[in-house]
Amino acid sequence: MLSPRLYILNVDKDPAEASRISKESAKQIQDKELKLLDLVQSLGGYLTDDDKTTRAKAIGYLSSVLGYLDPKALSRQQVAVIAQFLCDRLEDETGLKETSRGLFALQKSSRFGKEEATLVSSAICKVDLQKHPQGTRFVVLTLIDGLMANQRDALKAMGGKFITGFTELVGGEKDPRNLMIVFSIVKVILVEFDIVQHIEILFDVVYCYFPITFKPPPDDPYGITAQDLKFRLRECIASTKYFAGHVFPQLIEKLDSTSLSVKKDVLQTITACALSYGPQTISTHSTQLWDAVKFEVLNTTEEDELATEALSAIRAIAETLSFGLKSSPPATSPLARYLSGIIKECLKLLQEPQQKQAKPAGKILSKSATASAVALSFIVEKTMPALLLIHGDADDLAKQRALMEILNLLFQSTLEIFGTWGDITAEQVLSNPLTEYTDKLFEIYSQALMGSSREEMSLRITALKGLVLLCRIRKLFQENEIGMVVQYLDQVSLEVGGKGEIKELALQGLKDISKIKPNLIMDITFPAFMAQLPDSENEVNPSKPYTATLEALAKLSLGRSVFQVLLTRLLNKLDVVLRGKSGPMYPRAILSTLLYVLQKKPESSQEDVKTYFARLVIPLLGKTIIPTTDDSSEFEDFRIMTDDSILDVTGRLFNIIIRSLGFEEQIIVSRQLIDIFVLGIPSEYIPKTHAEIVARDFKPLQQTANKEQAGCTILLTYALAGLRREVVLTALSIPELIQQNVELATRTSHSAQRMAHVYLIALLANKWMKKPGDSDLLQKITADLLESVFNSMSGVQEYDNLVGQKLQTVLWITKAIVVRGDRYGMEITERIVGLLGDKNYGPTAGKGFAVLLGDDEFITKGNYAIIRPLTKQKIFTFCVPKIVEGFRAADSTTKPNYLVALSNILRNVPSAVILPELGRLLPLLLQSLDLPDPNVKSATIETLLITVTESADAVKEHISSLSARLLNACMNREENPPRIRSAALRCLRIFPGAVRTDLLLPYRRQVIRSLMTVLDDPKRNVRKEAVDCRAKWYSLDEPED
Amino acid sequence: MDGKNANPTILNASDLPTRRQAQRKKVVSPLASGLVPAYAQDPFVGNKVEFSDSDESEDDSVVEPIDEQEIYDLIATISDPEHPLTLGELAVVNLHHIKVTDDPSTIISNVLVELTPTINHCSLATVIGLGVRVRLEQALPPRFRFDVRIREGTHATGDQVNKQLNDKERVASALENETLMGVVGKMLETCK
Repeated sequence: MLSPRLYILNVDKDPAEASRISKESAKQIQDKELKLLDLVQSLGGYLTDDDKTTRAKAIGYLSSVLGYLDPKALSRQQVAVIAQFLCDRLEDETGLKETSRGLFALQKSSRFGKEEATLVSSAICKVDLQKHPQGTRFVVLTLIDGLMANQRDALKAMGGKFITGFTELVGGEKDPRNLMIVFSIVKVILVEFDIVQHIEILFDVVYCYFPITFKPPPDDPYGITAQDLKFRLRECIASTKYFAGHVFPQLIEKLDSTSLSVKKDVLQTITACALSYGPQTISTHSTQLWDAVKFEVLNTTEEDELATEALSAIRAIAETLSFGLKSSPPATSPLARYLSGIIKECLKLLQEPQQKQAKPAGKILSKSATASAVALSFIVEKTMPALLLIHGDADDLAKQRALMEILNLLFQSTLEIFGTWGDITAEQVLSNPLTEYTDKLFEIYSQALMGSSREEMSLRITALKGLVLLCRIRKLFQENEIGMVVQYLDQVSLEVGGKGEIKELALQGLKDISKIKPNLIMDITFPAFMAQLPDSENEVNPSKPYTATLEALAKLSLGRSVFQVLLTRLLNKLDVVLRGKSGPMYPRAILSTLLYVLQKKPESSQEDVKTYFARLVIPLLGKTIIPTTDDSSEFEDFRIMTDDSILDVTGRLFNIIIRSLGFEEQIIVSRQLIDIFVLGIPSEYIPKTHAEIVARDFKPLQQTANKEQAGCTILLTYALAGLRREVVLTALSIPELIQQNVELATRTSHSAQRMAHVYLIALLANKWMKKPGDSDLLQKITADLLESVFNSMSGVQEYDNLVGQKLQTVLWITKAIVVRGDRYGMEITERIVGLLGDKNYGPTAGKGFAVLLGDDEFITKGNYAIIRPLTKQKIFTFCVPKIVEGFRAADSTTKPNYLVALSNILRNVPSAVILPELGRLLPLLLQSLDLPDPNVKSATIETLLITVTESADAVKEHISSLSARLLNACMNREENPPRIRSAALRCLRIFPGAVRTDLLLPYRRQVIRSLMTVLDDPKRNVRKEAVDCRAKWYSLDEPED
Repeated sequence: MDGKNANPTILNASDLPTRRQAQRKKVVSPLASGLVPAYAQDPFVGNKVEFSDSDESEDDSVVEPIDEQEIYDLIATISDPEHPLTLGELAVVNLHHIKVTDDPSTIISNVLVELTPTINHCSLATVIGLGVRVRLEQALPPRFRFDVRIREGTHATGDQVNKQLNDKERVASALENETLMGVVGKMLETCK
């Protein structure tokens, strides 16, 4: 039997081999090839070795073997013998770690019993643990933890012997990992053991760690945070009510600490204790706690973290004292006594509701009221008469308002406790304490909202918020009262002039009410709002602006049934308005309203979308197209529908609805639309009376089309944009259609039409290059266009607008194919970079990068376009080096083209992509600050802003030239419009803080001095930025905290 | 509680007169937002002026003079040294107690700010006054002269404080005092 020796030899240099050895031995024991007793005996010599480590290693071998044994492998007797053997070894302190490990393995054995547990715990408690390293202490604690888990009854039976032994053992422990175990063991003792005789020592063991001030070292391998320790310690402190007498005085004393985190910890611990010690214990401490904690609320202003914690503590006490109470508490009950004290003090402070401590007092009341239904009832009953009296006596509106703010807090608490209409939670048994005051409150609040002067905005806002809260409280208001509130809100939201804030709130209130009482909104609000809409643009009454009404309608119509009503009503209105010979504004606003609601994704099913198509798309199509083919006077009024601004909204409606149609429906839609727009075939979408005429005379894609018909192209574009790319456009040659549109796009002088064509081209090139050969034909079209650009760039010729248009079209095609990863796209991109050096077409090429990288509304994922990820990054890495190189070689007339291209790229690429390249780009950026074009400048400043914030290191060598140029940009009003001046100031402002102070100090004087003139800028916004910027630079030399 | 008012009356921050909020909340009608027509989004057409905000704020010929409201906005957000509240909320600074005389024809313009301490023996009136002075000095162009004083009848030793506040040498030596400037720096930290 060589094993012990082999193990001892290997354990340091080859732990894997060592554990293989012990594993092997364990197997031999289980297979009965080796007797455990023999193994123990074989250790004999080593256990008396003079070398401490050898002794420890020998025990380590045994422990390791035990660890590998099956829990059932050892007999009752073997367990007893080994336990005794190992406990004896505990006297040899050198092997404490190994011995404990062995005991830990042993106690997992199924035959390890109560006696062994008592033996082991008694022995281990005698060890002088704190002189051992933390790793050893950890193993010992793990052993006790194991015993606590598996042999808890044995430990309990040991009673005080174990408790005192354990507390002595762990006293003075400081290691966070070990403390985590200590705290969890102590918690079990506190909760389950008979501790009445040992409160003092247990309290001392636990409380000496409070408050935790531990900061984990940066390389902490165990990842234990101060918060972990705080939680465990707090659980211990809160786990037994016997601590109350000791813990509360100590905690209250610690509230005087100046450390914010200590105070927070104290308050959270008080809350935890208050929630767990039980009503009897808490009742003896409640007054004392209230007296201590209230200052944390009363002496701070809003949104203070400590105030919030203190409020939780105050509430927690009330919650525990409410325990078991079902009805209003008698005056002698602990809850009543506790709350009465609070109420008395708070009411005193509320006598002057505008003073600083009034609001905190109100918060204390309302927070305590959320403790339970009984607490709420008690507080409302005891405070409401007094509060109403203060309100009645207040001669000053501001005072009334301040008091109503307090009432609103109580309403909020009532809402929390009693819930809102239609809640699924059970109703409170107690009756709502506010019921008694409903009439009075309704009167006061209605009066404040509707009866005060318009100027009293904040009073009215407070009243409005209160009324909405009251409406929402379950079963408080009657239906007719809520109806009245709805009417008030209608009136307020239709008010003319005044601040937008109250209208917003009124609408929000209506929305809130529509969730609980939708019928009231449909019956009261809708008719009221519709009645506000004039029938014709000519009648528009400045006191009844239709936009505000439409806006309000839109915001309320997100619910499914409400939207259906809105759709019907607005389409009728549209007809009326058109018949009244309207300009484009009003019809456009009506359609925009529908669009707004659809964009907000009202709840709708596939069936709904089909209905929207039938009710919205088809009629609008007819209304738009028929008047372009029928000169009769009946359609004259509808001709305004081909106004560009209306066409655009109609198109968007088409797009958003068609997009959500199913695949099959889209196929049908695509055929019909192509029949109408391209093929001239009668369609069922056009009423029978006009189907033939439209088929014959509606030719939007012909060179000869008049402006109205050509304008309708945008409808086709928007519609095709919404189709899935799998929808085959039958009966069409896509390249031919593209060619046709290319010609139309280059020839038309009307920009809206040109855009309709180029977007259409881009869509086709992106989504529908399907047939073999399509791509080749597209390449040919593109190459031809590019050819004519390159032919005219030789330099002698003048700029030719037609050629410019062709180049623009090329860029749109390139964009469409580059985003789907077409290699040819990159080829053209490279040629376009080459064009930047051209005097005539370079500027167009530069702007073209905004097309290539920018986002448009047509080529998007939502429109089922093919968009490969990382396209922008690809273009960035491909183009930027070429642009930098081209810029260096370029002469001064064409340099700006490169900068424009660069700024367009930078504006559209995520900053993470740009940052690594910054070093190379900065010189260019600096130069583009000298360009006169404000768009380039603004893009550059934006980039610099991000750069300075995110990678200040990149700019640190350029501070001098950067600050000089930015200062110039904000001081030179001739060249820089206000928004550039503001942007430059914003950029300059972030230097302090982002860049090391010592690098900035040399420029401080100059910046502050130069900005002095900007303080006199004619524009207020610029002055404001200058003030803020200056303040930052002023504060530079002040020592940082 | 000597020279301190622990429970002063406070004004609701949203009730304070300010121009800032109005600007910040320049609401675009939701019906119009996101509705720049597709045809107006042509990157090749230089400035999209017609559909961006073509308002006055971009027109340099419309001069926006420095007025009382602007001064108020500059100093109302200074913190009180003893309460975590602003001078505006405590009504120490009031819009109608500010007077600006900004006549382009003269070289020098004037600002008069009258402060109302929360109680009439407020021990920190001088510090507050100093804070207001420092803020104005940093934020106004040099052609402005300012007079920061305690409003008559609102402070027991108002005259004395006024003398200190408007005595150039005393102000200058106060600005050398590091502790004092530390307090003032803290007060100005909340300036928006």
